[in-house]
Amino acid sequence: MRRRRVLQAITAFPAFRAPAQYLSPGQAAEETPKLRETAPDGVAQPKTRFLRPDQLAAFRNLAEILVPKGPDRPSAVEAGAVEFLDFLLSQSSPERQALFKNGLDVLNNQSQKRFGKPFAQLTSAEAKPLLEPLTRPWTYHPPQDPQERFLREAKEDLLLATANSKPFADAMSKRSRAAAGLGAYWLPFD
Amino acid sequence: MKTYDVLIIGSGAAGGMAAWVLARGGADCLLLEAGPLFDYEKQRVMKAVYELPYRGFNRPGRFPHITQASEFDANLWADEKQNPYSYPPGDPFYWVRIRAVGGKTLRWGRASWRLSDYEFKGKDHDGYGENWPISLADLAPYYDRVEPMFRVSGRNEGLPQLPDGKLIVDESRDSLSVQRFIAACKKRNIPTTKPRRATGTLASSYNLLLPEALESGNLTITPNAVVREITLDPKTGLANGAAFVDRRSKREYQVSAKIVVLAASTLESTRILLNSKSPRFPTGLANSSGVLGHFLVDQFYVKNTVVAVVPEARGGRGGRTLMGGGGYVPRFRNLDRKEKDYIRGWAWDFGSGFTPPAKYLPLYGEELQKQLADLAGTGFALTTMGEALARKENHVRIHPTLKDEWGIPCLHITQKYGDNEFRMAQDAMETAVELCREAGFEILAQHAQMVPPGESIHELGTCRMGHNPKTSVLNAWNQAHDVKNLFVVDGSCFVSAGVQNPTLTILALSMRASEYILDQKKKGLL
Ligand SMILES: Cc1cc2nc3c(=O)[nH]c(=O)nc-3n(C[C@H](O)[C@H](O)[C@H](O)COP(=O)(O)OP(=O)(O)OC[C@H]3O[C@@H](n4cnc5c(N)ncnc54)[C@H](O)[C@@H]3O)c2cc1C
Repeated sequence: MRRRRVLQAITAFPAFRAPAQYLSPGQAAEETPKLRETAPDGVAQPKTRFLRPDQLAAFRNLAEILVPKGPDRPSAVEAGAVEFLDFLLSQSSPERQALFKNGLDVLNNQSQKRFGKPFAQLTSAEAKPLLEPLTRPWTYHPPQDPQERFLREAKEDLLLATANSKPFADAMSKRSRAAAGLGAYWLPFD
Repeated sequence: MKTYDVLIIGSGAAGGMAAWVLARGGADCLLLEAGPLFDYEKQRVMKAVYELPYRGFNRPGRFPHITQASEFDANLWADEKQNPYSYPPGDPFYWVRIRAVGGKTLRWGRASWRLSDYEFKGKDHDGYGENWPISLADLAPYYDRVEPMFRVSGRNEGLPQLPDGKLIVDESRDSLSVQRFIAACKKRNIPTTKPRRATGTLASSYNLLLPEALESGNLTITPNAVVREITLDPKTGLANGAAFVDRRSKREYQVSAKIVVLAASTLESTRILLNSKSPRFPTGLANSSGVLGHFLVDQFYVKNTVVAVVPEARGGRGGRTLMGGGGYVPRFRNLDRKEKDYIRGWAWDFGSGFTPPAKYLPLYGEELQKQLADLAGTGFALTTMGEALARKENHVRIHPTLKDEWGIPCLHITQKYGDNEFRMAQDAMETAVELCREAGFEILAQHAQMVPPGESIHELGTCRMGHNPKTSVLNAWNQAHDVKNLFVVDGSCFVSAGVQNPTLTILALSMRASEYILDQKKKGLL
C-alpha cells in the first residue's frame, strides 16, 4: 500500500523532485522506486540521414497532403512522421529503400514536367493528378505499378507513424484515456 | 544422476498437460523447455507506443515470417536468426514459434472447438486420406474435462460437425448487425454460433497446468534446455533419455528417463525425432514406416475475406445495440451430401463494430479523415479457415547443412495448397459476399487470397497416428509403434486438420495419452 502511494507520488511530479519530497532518506534506502524516463523523441530533434534533401522535401509535402492536420489531431509533419520514416527506411530492405527513393524522384520529375517546380512546392490541388493512383480501388496484392505501390505504402506508413506519435497520443488523451497507445512491453531476456 | 520416470520435452499446451496429469498421478517427471521462464510481473512494463524505438513498426526485417509479432511483444517470439529453417524458393512457410515456458499458449487466441467424426472418420465420409485411429467417443470424456479447466465459454448448438462441450454458457445478446447476418445465414440453413473461447486473464499452461503440476512435488522444470535428440538404448531398443544443450552457455548434457513424452510442438517434435538417428533408426527415431515428416497439414486462412460496412451505423449512429460482438459459422459444406467442386469444408469467424482500415478506402487527406470518421465503428468482417488436405508431398526433412545457434540441424519445410483449397477459398468468398449483401451491408473489400502456409499457426501432422505401423508413426494412444516408451502428444499426431482451431484437441489428446501412460505403468506394462 505504502509502496503504491510512493509510486503515485513519483509519477505525479517530475522525477527529480519526488524522492526529496516524499521519501525520507531512510525510506529511500528501503524502497526501489520506478523513475520516470523520457524517450529521445521527447527531448531532441531527430536527425535525418537517408533521403536526399530534395526527396525529403517532397516527402514532407506528400505527408502534409496525405495526412493533414485535423481539428483535434496533428498532421503527419507535426507528428514527426517524416523524420521517423526516413530513419526506418535507413534500416529497411534495399527493395523498400529503392521503392521510396524512386517514388519520390518520380513525384519530383512529374511535378517539374507539369508545373516546372519540385513536388515540395505543389499545393494539394496541384498534386491531385500525381496522386491519382491513390484513388484506385484496393487490391489484395500490391499493385504492379511501382509508383502506385509506393504511394499506397507511403500512405499506410504515414498514417501509422502519425497515429503512433506522441503528439497524436497527447491529442487523443484529451478525448479519452484509452486512446493513448499504451501496451505491455516485454523486456528482453538473457 | 537419477533416472526420471518420465521426461517431458516442451511446456506448451501438450507438455503442460502431460506434466499436469503425470506429476499429479505420481510419476517423477522432468520437463525440459528450450526457452526461458518469464516472470510475468517483472518481465513486462507498460509503455506508450511512441516510446518504443521503432514507434510500433518493429525493427525492419526482425520477423520476416511472424506477422503476429508486434514491437511490444517482439522479445517473446523465437528469433528467426537463432532458429532458422528453409523452404523451397517461391513457396514460403511462415513458422511462428514462441520458445518460453508456456510455449505458444502465452499468446494464443483461445478459440476452442472440438473435432467431430467428420474429421476423425473423414475417410469413411468422403473416401479421402486416412481415418484417425480414434473417434469422437474416445476423446469426448477428455474434452469434457479440458473445457472446464480452460473455462471455455460458448453456446452448444447440437450440431454433429461441431460437438457440444462443457461450456460456460454465453448468453450475451447479439448486436443487431450480428442478428442481421445470422438471419441471412438462417435463410440458407447455414448454422451460426457464439465464439467458443477459453476465458480468464491468462489461459496458458503457464498458469493453468504447470503450477498444480509443480505443487504435486513430482515435477522438475528445467528451462533453457534445448533438446538435441532422444537417445536410444541399443540393447532394449527403448528410449532412455535425451541429449540437450543449455541455451545460454551451450553446455551439453544427457538426461536419463524411463519414458519420454515429446511435446515440443508439431514441427519441433518431428525435427527432434528426425535428428535422433541410430543404426536401428537411420532415418529418424520411430520411423520404420518412412511416414515421419510427411502429411503436414494446417488450416488455410483467408484473413478478412470480406470487409463490409453496416450503413445504418455511419456517422456515429452505431452504438452498442447495432454494432459489436461476433460469432462463428462452422463448416456446413459437404456434410450430408456432396456439394460444390471440392471435398471437406471451411468455417468463418466474424466480427462487428471495428473501424475499417484506411487501406480499403481509395482516398487520402481530409477526405480520407472524413470517411474514417463517418465509418468509425461500422465495420463487419469475416475470416475464412479452411481444411488443407493431408498430402504426402507436404513434408519436412532435415536440411543437409543449415544448423541453429546450438548446432542442431534445422528443418526444410515444404507445404503448398492445392486446387481443393483454392476452390474452397473462392466459394467462401462468394458466399460471404452474398450473405453480407443479404444482410444489407455494403461490401468494402473482398478477396480469396490465402496467407502463406503456417501463418494460421495451426501446423499439424508429420508424426501421425494410425492403426497400421506401416502408414503411421503413433498408435491410438500417441505411443510410437516402434518404441513403446516414446509418446508424441502434440499436434504432430494429427491425421487431418479439420477447420477447428486445434489446441483443445491437443490438450485432450495429451491428457488421454498421459493417463494411458499412468495406467500402463501401474500394470507394469511400461
Ligand atoms: C497468436 C496465436 C494465436 C493462436 N490462436 C489460437 C486459437 O485461437 N486457438 C487454438 O486452438 N490455437 C491457437 N494458437 C495455436 C496454439 O497456441 C498452439 O496450437 C498450441 O500452443 C500448441 O501447443 P504445443 O504444446 O504443441 O506447442 P507450443 O505451445 O508451441 O509449445 C511447445 C514448447 O516446446 C518447446 N520446445 C520446442 N523445441 C524444443 C526443444 N528442442 N527442446 C526443448 N523444448 C522445445 C518450445 O519452446 C515451446 O515452449 C495460436 C497461436 C498463436 C501464437
